[in-house]
Amino acid sequence: MKESTGSKAAKGVTLAILLIWTLFPIYWMFSLAIRKGDELTGALSFLPHSFSMEHFIDLFENKGFGTALVNSLQVTCISLAISLVFGLCCAYILARARFQFKMKGPELFWVLLIRVLPPIAFALPLYIMFSNAGMLSTKVPIILAHCLINVPFIIWFMITFFENLPVSVEESAAVDGATESQLFGRIVLPQVLPGIAAVGILSFMTSWNEYLYGVIFVQSPSNFTIPLTLATLNSEQELAQWGNIAAGGIVSLIPIAIFVMIAQNFLIAGLSNGAVKE
Amino acid sequence: MKKSNKLYAYLMSSPAMLVLTVLSIFPLLFVIYYSFTDYYYLSSGKPAFIALENYTDLFADQYFRQALWNTVKFTVLAVFFEVLVGLGMAVLINSVKHHQKLLRTVTLLPDLLPPVTVALMWQIMFSNNYGLFNNILGLFGLDPVNWLQDVGTAFYCILVIDIWQYAPFVFLLLYAALQSVPQDQYEAAAIDGANAWQRFTRITLPSISKNIIMVVLLRVIDTFRLFDKVNILTKGGPANSTATITQYIYQYVVKRNQIGYGSAATVIMTVIVLILACGYIRENFRKNSAQKG
Amino acid sequence: MFKRSLALLLSGLMLTGAMAGCGGSKPSEQDTGAAGSDSAQSTTDPIKLTIAARGGTHVDVINSVLPAFESENNCKVEVLGLEADDLKQKVALDSKNAKGAYDLCMIDDPVMPEFCDTGVLLDLTAEGYKEDADFVKASLDIGKYPYAEGDVYALPFAGNVTLLFYNQDVLDSVGAKAPDNWTDVLNIAKQVNGKDGKVGYVIRGQQGNPIVGDYMPILWAYGGDIFDKDWNVTVDSAEAKAALQMYMDLLANGANYEKNDIVSAVSDGKAAMSLGWPSWYISGGAATASYARIPGKVDASSTDQPSGVIGNWMMGVTANTQNKDLAIKLLEYLTSAETQKSAADVGAVPTRTSVFQDTELSAKYPFYATLLDATENSRVRPRTPLWSQIEEAYGIELSNAIAGQKDIDTALADAKAQIEKIVK
Repeated sequence: MKESTGSKAAKGVTLAILLIWTLFPIYWMFSLAIRKGDELTGALSFLPHSFSMEHFIDLFENKGFGTALVNSLQVTCISLAISLVFGLCCAYILARARFQFKMKGPELFWVLLIRVLPPIAFALPLYIMFSNAGMLSTKVPIILAHCLINVPFIIWFMITFFENLPVSVEESAAVDGATESQLFGRIVLPQVLPGIAAVGILSFMTSWNEYLYGVIFVQSPSNFTIPLTLATLNSEQELAQWGNIAAGGIVSLIPIAIFVMIAQNFLIAGLSNGAVKE
Repeated sequence: MKKSNKLYAYLMSSPAMLVLTVLSIFPLLFVIYYSFTDYYYLSSGKPAFIALENYTDLFADQYFRQALWNTVKFTVLAVFFEVLVGLGMAVLINSVKHHQKLLRTVTLLPDLLPPVTVALMWQIMFSNNYGLFNNILGLFGLDPVNWLQDVGTAFYCILVIDIWQYAPFVFLLLYAALQSVPQDQYEAAAIDGANAWQRFTRITLPSISKNIIMVVLLRVIDTFRLFDKVNILTKGGPANSTATITQYIYQYVVKRNQIGYGSAATVIMTVIVLILACGYIRENFRKNSAQKG
Repeated sequence: MFKRSLALLLSGLMLTGAMAGCGGSKPSEQDTGAAGSDSAQSTTDPIKLTIAARGGTHVDVINSVLPAFESENNCKVEVLGLEADDLKQKVALDSKNAKGAYDLCMIDDPVMPEFCDTGVLLDLTAEGYKEDADFVKASLDIGKYPYAEGDVYALPFAGNVTLLFYNQDVLDSVGAKAPDNWTDVLNIAKQVNGKDGKVGYVIRGQQGNPIVGDYMPILWAYGGDIFDKDWNVTVDSAEAKAALQMYMDLLANGANYEKNDIVSAVSDGKAAMSLGWPSWYISGGAATASYARIPGKVDASSTDQPSGVIGNWMMGVTANTQNKDLAIKLLEYLTSAETQKSAADVGAVPTRTSVFQDTELSAKYPFYATLLDATENSRVRPRTPLWSQIEEAYGIELSNAIAGQKDIDTALADAKAQIEKIVK
């Protein structure tokens, strides 16, 4: 399968357009974040004329970004770990026809329904629930709310990945005497690692940027997450501080980009497993 | 194995089900119940049962109908282009031999940014004072456009931002799906003399069609909730041309504490999305029971 | 092997979360540790007060004056800074809990009727609060329920009233001086607009709160209003139509920007005039544009109407606070003349006559005199708990008009129908 020079060139051009389209707004954000404050009023030049870390310093010294980063990491990581374990197990059962039980149909529908519910209206009854349970001063409500968003997402998406796997592999392993949990852990999961990595990344992202539930449940500035802190930088009542907003976007991007780079390694791992190619 | 099979199935699926049920049964009943009342959160009296009045009021409200129509139109356009662009990105990047890892990370970036920041960065670029886009138009001697406040452009500006942000989402999930397409099929097709387009339509598309349908569904669900960008950039204007259902609900639930009315709007929104999703579910159920024997 | 890598990923996640947790709890332990060791010895736990505030400058202002109060009253005050809509919702939600999570809250002035009506706020007069005549009357009136007559429920925390902002150089270039009536404003806009790429008058025509706040001063100057004395809707009166026509003429001789663009355009001389909130243009003592009271006359010969929109941020004590007395004390402290003076450098805008007229401060902040004058000649948006709903509908129809989707008569008639439906 050799590529012709023509198609190579076309590919190169498409790729270049794609990169410009994707990266330009991000370049713009970055270039605003590193400019001095007085360069951010009036006409903005394409290239920055000054360099300064003042916005980043201001965020950490005066806007509580340090605490918010820690809180966000905590909430995101814990809720993602829970969601992945629960979601993967459940998705596998729902995807495999050999598991038949009465509640299967309703469970499938229930998961879908929860994914469809709009958070904007469900935040209020959840608030009432957590408030009565006296949990609002902790991070538990936010973590649970993130699970509520991510578990259905993971289940739903992983079902298709499990379904795409041929059952023959499991069947032959079962004949060899493997138990169900061995099948799941040793045979099935490794083959859907790309899917796990992808939903992992997207769930992390959802959780990291989640605002609606966060703002309703938070009771103390010491529990603020990154999106909540970012939101206070912008309001109709005050002039936007472009430098801080852009710098906040960069700070928020870094942890999640690191996570993506780690999780990426699993994106192609499934291929190296010879069992798929039967 | 058969008996332990059932136990195993319950054991594996119950933790997730438990979390989902405990967290959502009360909210669900709450929203459905109060959608039939005139519940105003701050009122000291008990909410009165008003049967379907909220629902009839909603459908009689031209702003709601406008928001509904905007949302449907936006969802159809956004999801179509996001899947198109996302699929293109996935196939393209999957075929690149060098720096694939770097490319993957870089193309994902728009999706990783906080929505607030995304909206504000685009606002600066769209600005009709010193905005970048108008400067570019100026270079070609064209008149500036009031991108976000002109009835003809505001809706499409929001659309462009949404596609920019979420095409990478589609890309990632489809890219992951492409990884499990067996390579030998391509090799066989190449031997048969199939060209790139034929390989794409005959092998790639059928192999990931399930994933595409799933991505469409997930995007439809999420796009139906469009709110952040509208709230920050246009507030539903100009002339209500960018008002969405979620923004409408926001006005009632968040700004006015009109829980009853807002709940009714929520129920309608949920039902619409469920109807859209139903096709997929039925398909899934049928298949699941077909494999039963 | 794959199982192991997955397990590794999961435990990595858990670990990060846990580590973040430890890292996070350390500083707070130190915080409470310092206070905690005192209390352990003195056996009186410091009381904790929470203020729900609007994020941004207000939080900085409050935080800058807290230490003195905290040490004097052996208490710890936490300030929760939120975006304006979120702030309103959170205070409303918490008001139904038996024990309030917030002891004090900030309230945007149009929200006052709703929060007083529904018992969110504590009646300060009933708690023995004596009215302080030092507050500018127009500001203090907002805190009373019913408006200007009833008991005091909240005190004005931050002064704010819309002003006319203009660029002196641009006005000079056409030989104009700061206009005091709308006909002059339009004439200047006509002369400036289009000359060397300049913009005459900038409206803030975004649907919703912006366009309503931007149009109302003109409506008032024309002698119109949203309601008459008996709460009949009058948004389609002849005055209102003339005012909207003026608004659209101004747009035709100018542009429609979002607030950040307005401020930079007027400041650097791209645009001649616009209305706006002082906090956008003035930081510290330095203003980036010239400013004046909003014209209250249609033309030179008409009568002068108060036309600036007052938009004070109020602060009250929640009805379900667990620390009523201390909360009231903190409220009085935060709105006292001393606090307003000492926080002026952090960005506090006064609400007291004595602070506005303080010789030292008004030398440093020359806009105080204009702001006081404008506040005394300002008007409030209609005092009804339904305001946010009215504003939304009104905003949509005004936006329809300036976007050319409806003509003036239709848009205002539709606005009237919508508002009547809301207040029915």
